[in-house]
Amino acid sequence: MTATFAILKRELLTYFVSPLAYVFLGVFLFLAGVFFYLGIALTGEASLRVMLGNVSISLMFVLPMLTMRHFAEEQKTGTFEMLMTSPVSPVAILVGKWLASLTLCLVMLLGTGLFVAILAYYGDPDWGVVATSYLGLLLTCGVFCAGGLFASSLTDDQVAAGMGGIVLLMPLWLVGSASSLVGEEWQARLDHLALLPHLRSFTKGVIDTADIAYFALLTFGFLFLTFRTLESRRWR
Amino acid sequence: MIEVEHLTKRYGAFTAIEDVSFSVPKGHVLGFIGPNGAGKTTTMRVLTGFLPATEGRAVVAGFDVFEDPVEVKRRVGYLPETPPLYRELTVGEYLRFCAELRELPRADRLRRVGEVMERVGLRGWERRVLGTLSKGYRQRVGLAQALLHNPPVLILDEPTSGLDPAQNVGVRELIAGLAGDHTIILSTHILPEVEALCAQVVLINKGKIAAAGTMEAVRAQAAPAYFRVSLDAPGVEPAAVARAVGALAEVKVVQPEGEGLRVEAEPGVDPRPAIASMAVGRGWGVRGLERTIPTLEEAFLSIVGREGA
Ligand SMILES: Nc1ncnc2c1ncn2[C@@H]1O[C@H](COP(=O)(O)OP(=O)(O)O)[C@@H](O)[C@H]1O
Ligand SMILES: [Mg+2]
Repeated sequence: MTATFAILKRELLTYFVSPLAYVFLGVFLFLAGVFFYLGIALTGEASLRVMLGNVSISLMFVLPMLTMRHFAEEQKTGTFEMLMTSPVSPVAILVGKWLASLTLCLVMLLGTGLFVAILAYYGDPDWGVVATSYLGLLLTCGVFCAGGLFASSLTDDQVAAGMGGIVLLMPLWLVGSASSLVGEEWQARLDHLALLPHLRSFTKGVIDTADIAYFALLTFGFLFLTFRTLESRRWR
Repeated sequence: MIEVEHLTKRYGAFTAIEDVSFSVPKGHVLGFIGPNGAGKTTTMRVLTGFLPATEGRAVVAGFDVFEDPVEVKRRVGYLPETPPLYRELTVGEYLRFCAELRELPRADRLRRVGEVMERVGLRGWERRVLGTLSKGYRQRVGLAQALLHNPPVLILDEPTSGLDPAQNVGVRELIAGLAGDHTIILSTHILPEVEALCAQVVLINKGKIAAAGTMEAVRAQAAPAYFRVSLDAPGVEPAAVARAVGALAEVKVVQPEGEGLRVEAEPGVDPRPAIASMAVGRGWGVRGLERTIPTLEEAFLSIVGREGA
């Protein structure tokens, strides 16, 4: 626990003493603002639904860029050697790093509260839906951060880790829009694998255990793969 | 304190170290030397639990590295070849982070960080950003990190590489001060440093141990001791003096060296009494008769070969 917390603190310190965190917040909020505006302008509907759907896609591109350094850089600079020769388990290291990126996601999502406030000023949002939508987005961030960490553990090259992370996560989006290739019947089955349909129920105000299980399983799966990679890297 | 038995490590098909065995008694400093690529870092990584060995066994501070890695890691301080620093953190932030990783009780952390900073000469450097430090100061921070939890065993991979002579002396004195309380393995390219600090030496070449033992044994094993002889024989040709010395049964080889002669004998034979009585018998004076042990550097070169060094 102490070690996980130490890693979490150290990662957050690194985020916020470098321009990194601020650049991410800025880019993310700008994208979210554009989607928010387009969502209202195109649908004429005072809802967060469109923005949140699009935000989840931009997260797929932004978060691997955030997580790419987590292991890649430590392998390159040799700090990884220090971590692995301290009496800390790889799981604690992994979870600390994942929590750190998730904390930054939380800050990013809090920033979009501005748009909710604008909606609340002009209309009357359903607060229950707002809450479940954010829960869904946070779960999505959990999956993306875990996938990004996995990509980062595979290489000591940050750029490769970032690109690899995006390529790794893309299928979660693409399988959701493959109907022209596989037909409607198969698409209905593939929708179980795709991320957006699971997120959609959250943005409708529905919390389904099947959806939660989907996100939890993916997150755990990616973290487990990362753990295995860290262990096996040392055998090479 | 450290027992290494038949350690072999392969990277894929490449054998980095093969059948390496040695031991270090408690409180001793072992000098771990060898040319670049000999396998020093690999051996140290195995001992610190960073890399698993392919074959063999290692016991450090009473625990098997492969069966109880966490217990070993608790008792080892490790300075890797490149100090493992987070460039964006300050010295203080970094060492406090290390103190947490090292499971120091909350109440002790700040005190310990202050103590090790004092010890390695980093007093007043707490707020400096690691990325802006010079090589010598980075090395000190790396050492501070290794000392934080006051480990009984220290494994230092080239702690003086890239330092200027004054910094070198500083690190050497620091290590000398740590010996006794700590069991230390020290790898380095600077052989006089090993001669100054280490009672035990392991010389590794191409992944195998080429020589091991006490400093004297390794030096003698590499090249036998020889004798410097200087006789005062007025009116006698130097070649005739050399012939007279070479005629003695105890002497194996004679070569002119500077003003005098370089004399080699069979191992264990001391030709000095015979040379002295021969000289006295002929009425020659004896200016000098001294036994010379090759330096570690000479030993290193004779074992590793000049092209490998
Ligand atoms: N991760 C690795 N994969 C493959 N070969 C390696 C790896 N690390 C080291 N080696 C090789 O193992 C040999 C020993 O390296 P090393 O232990 O670093 O030597 P030293 O520290 O004595 O200079 C070298 O030939 C090096 O190229
Ligand atoms: Mg080395």
